Amino acid sequence: MSYYQLVPGVYVEELPEKEGKITVSIGPQHPGSGHFRLIITIDGDVVVDADPDPGYVHRGEEKMCETRDYIQNIPHLERPVVLDSAGIQFPYILAAEEILDIKDKVPEKAKYLRILLAEFNRVISHFYFLAIQAIFLGHSTVLEWSMADREVLMDLAAMLTGARVTFAYFVPGGVRSDVPSGFVDQTLKAVGYLRSRMKEYWRMLVDNPFMKMRMEGVGVLKAKDAIELGAVGPNLRASGVEYDIRKVDPYSLYDTVEFHVPTYKEGDTMSRIKIRLDEINESLGIIEQVVRKLDGMRGPVRHLVKGAALRAKPGEAYARTEAARGMMSFYIISDGGRTPYRVKVDTPSFRNMKLIPVLLKDVRVADVPIVFWSIDYWPVEADR
Amino acid sequence: MKASEFLSGFLKVVESGLRHLVRKRMTLRYPEFLVVPAPDELFGFKPGEARDTNGLRGRHLLDLDRCTGCRLCEITCNGISGAITMVKVEGQFPRNKRGIFPSIDYGRCVFCGLCVDACIFDALFMTDREELAEYDRAALLYGPEEISKPPKELPVKIRAKRAELILDERRGAHHVQRKN
Ligand code: SF4
Ligand code: SF4
Repeated sequence: MSYYQLVPGVYVEELPEKEGKITVSIGPQHPGSGHFRLIITIDGDVVVDADPDPGYVHRGEEKMCETRDYIQNIPHLERPVVLDSAGIQFPYILAAEEILDIKDKVPEKAKYLRILLAEFNRVISHFYFLAIQAIFLGHSTVLEWSMADREVLMDLAAMLTGARVTFAYFVPGGVRSDVPSGFVDQTLKAVGYLRSRMKEYWRMLVDNPFMKMRMEGVGVLKAKDAIELGAVGPNLRASGVEYDIRKVDPYSLYDTVEFHVPTYKEGDTMSRIKIRLDEINESLGIIEQVVRKLDGMRGPVRHLVKGAALRAKPGEAYARTEAARGMMSFYIISDGGRTPYRVKVDTPSFRNMKLIPVLLKDVRVADVPIVFWSIDYWPVEADR
Repeated sequence: MKASEFLSGFLKVVESGLRHLVRKRMTLRYPEFLVVPAPDELFGFKPGEARDTNGLRGRHLLDLDRCTGCRLCEITCNGISGAITMVKVEGQFPRNKRGIFPSIDYGRCVFCGLCVDACIFDALFMTDREELAEYDRAALLYGPEEISKPPKELPVKIRAKRAELILDERRGAHHVQRKN
């Protein structure tokens, strides 16, 4: 019998033990896994079984929504995934607008500004992914590079919204501030700069022979498994399934911008890196188009809803968007009060968690961190 | 993998890395330099135009002459972080007969700026001061008098020169000191 010991002598939980195998508990406080526990059973140095144990950073976000009105809910809903705070705000705001019945009043400029910030956040989040993946690979150069290049867009976002990470920029009815002077020029420069950098990232991570040896053919997810397990986002597309909410169910004004959805057939760890590099490039393209459209565009950015009108009619609303990690959706039920009756958040990390046991099977212990992180699982987002 | 393929890939990686020896450094010496990306404007709400002005969301600035003590900021913040409490200030305020003004606890504030949006009397703003560290929690509680004055200059030791980011495709991103 073996137990998971919190402190010596205090047994919290029984860990399964198999004949001749060793069970290792990684986390919950581990620099690699995020605040989340992963129980792996190993035979020699090969993983035979991996069991994710989520819930360590559960914050009760859904319950918190029930005591706050539609505006007060904005700041705390960003917290589950601060790296992609516009990504989680987007579906919430779309659903809130639907239930508040102001969907048609959102100005065009606000819709473009939302796309702009969402794409900024996608790039910021993918750079963070690359940084951590690189340090798991022992490649500290790319860690420093991506952390630095992330700053470029974070500063631009601060220029637009006033905050670097938790923007609180989207509100029911539009966005909070207009494009500042000099923003368009600086953004176009940033796009040019980051495009030139992406070639170097490709060389460092994809064409690098050492990275090829580490990642090609490791942690393969077949397209059939990906669909059956309900994978979403870049992980699904890295297995060859072209599925992107921005294309299959265009929201906001995504149908007026041009971009393509990159896919790879292999489904291994390397292709999950390649797909993120490609997505950064596509997002830079969207940013460029949107910024050119915004240049000189006049008109309001927000349809102001007065406090008393923030009361929704009884009913329900659902909205889904493509966040950096995949499909993010919100389901809001209202009973006619100032606060939602029930809010359900469906996060991509929670869906992708099911990939962990499949991907980690038959992987060597040394490769566990890189395969685990390659799906960009964010525990706080999954636990909400 | 063929040996030639390995070698060329490897050399390309080394070349990419070496190129950074001649590029400008992107990091900056933090306490001496500070990046202030937003224009030098106070973050405030314009109800007429239904938008916020562009500015960094840092420490608040309260206009004691305009504040009516309507508590809208407190009500909003109660559902967010509960940082605002109304306190009484001695003195005569023609627009604020009861003399109650918001005080803000920066140990709780999340700098969302929604209290600024809630204030329809143009009394509450946010400045770009983000350096608010203190040795104890009580010092983070700012009363109305404190937030009605513009932020003090930082001590000389950490007085920051403002820097801006220059994006150059060839020489890399780097910071230079801001002119103004
Ligand atoms: S900025 Fe947000 S958290 Fe801070 S006092 Fe204002 S409403 Fe409260
Ligand atoms: S700061 Fe504005 S919202 Fe707050 S009490 Fe004063 S007038 Fe009212």
